[in-house]
Amino acid sequence: MSSKPYIFRIASLILCVSLGLMLFRGIAALPVTEKVTGPASHYLARTAGETGARNVVGAILFDYRAFDTLGESTVIFTAVCGIAMLFSRRKFHRSSRGLSFIAKRGIGIMVPFLLMYASVIILFGHLSPGGGFQGGTIFATVTVLLCVVFGSSFESQYFPPRTKDILESGGALLFSGIGLIGLAAGTGFLSNIAAGFPAGTFGSFLSAGSVPILNVAVGMKVGAGLSTIFYSMIKMLDAGHDHREGGGIE
Amino acid sequence: MILLSYATAVIIFCIGLYTIMIRRNLFKTVLGLALMESAVLLIIVSSGYIPGGVPPIAPFSGPAVNPLPHAFTLTAIVIGASDIALALAFIVKLHRHYRTVDLDRIRGLRG
Repeated sequence: MSSKPYIFRIASLILCVSLGLMLFRGIAALPVTEKVTGPASHYLARTAGETGARNVVGAILFDYRAFDTLGESTVIFTAVCGIAMLFSRRKFHRSSRGLSFIAKRGIGIMVPFLLMYASVIILFGHLSPGGGFQGGTIFATVTVLLCVVFGSSFESQYFPPRTKDILESGGALLFSGIGLIGLAAGTGFLSNIAAGFPAGTFGSFLSAGSVPILNVAVGMKVGAGLSTIFYSMIKMLDAGHDHREGGGIE
Repeated sequence: MILLSYATAVIIFCIGLYTIMIRRNLFKTVLGLALMESAVLLIIVSSGYIPGGVPPIAPFSGPAVNPLPHAFTLTAIVIGASDIALALAFIVKLHRHYRTVDLDRIRGLRG
């Protein structure tokens, strides 16, 4: 509503600026450390020996704090469930026709390279920057591009929602299964080298024990999840305004 | 240099907060929320900076930056994305029900 009182806007602006100033003064008072302290220094010093992974961030995510990561990928699953429940009232069969011929051909050339890029980001997650979350998001981007450029029915023909469902559940099962191996070995849930996963030679592709497998699992979960979210929403928008749901007020 | 990064984050945070306070459009409220979230993530990442630090990819050629904020930020980004997607789904649902995303008008219809 643009009929907001003028004084209200000014008061909000002043409040925001003063809050921001207080926040900035608080943050600026943080000490600038010259070297890393706390658990992070342990991670930096011992990651290569304890996990065999080069990427310390990946090792933290999938080895030291893997249980945290499992909980977090459950959050995506919950969001997917919520959105699918919200939009599952009716089956929509309509779909947009997509963009022009030039856009379709261009995307057709780009898609294999995008898929390769996503695979490299996931599979080399323990050696270089990247990992399951980032690569999974790129996979989801491919399906989003297909949805926008070719229309959602084309996308659902190549990546059926059922397949995404199986991929997402499979990722969760793979993650939990790796964790249970650690439990069976008697070293604790989601333990890596201690549970007998081979560490490999440091810096080679097959190294770091369970970290690459967990990367793949999370990549499956994130890619399928985000892609399902987008697909549900664009199906809803494709259905257009002529499908009014019951209970509308007008 | 690090103060500049903090200042940027605080400015983005304030823009998001102002958007949430002023706008009654639900879609813009969610955009403001996303802005505030990005600002907080920027603060977290900046706090792990070490002067002259190198990326935490072993073997290090100098003092490495703190890898822990990066890991936290990764988790927070994913949770924020699912959050925003769910909020947008609710807004689409609201729009189909009330034919508007204006909070005042929706309240007026209720009352």
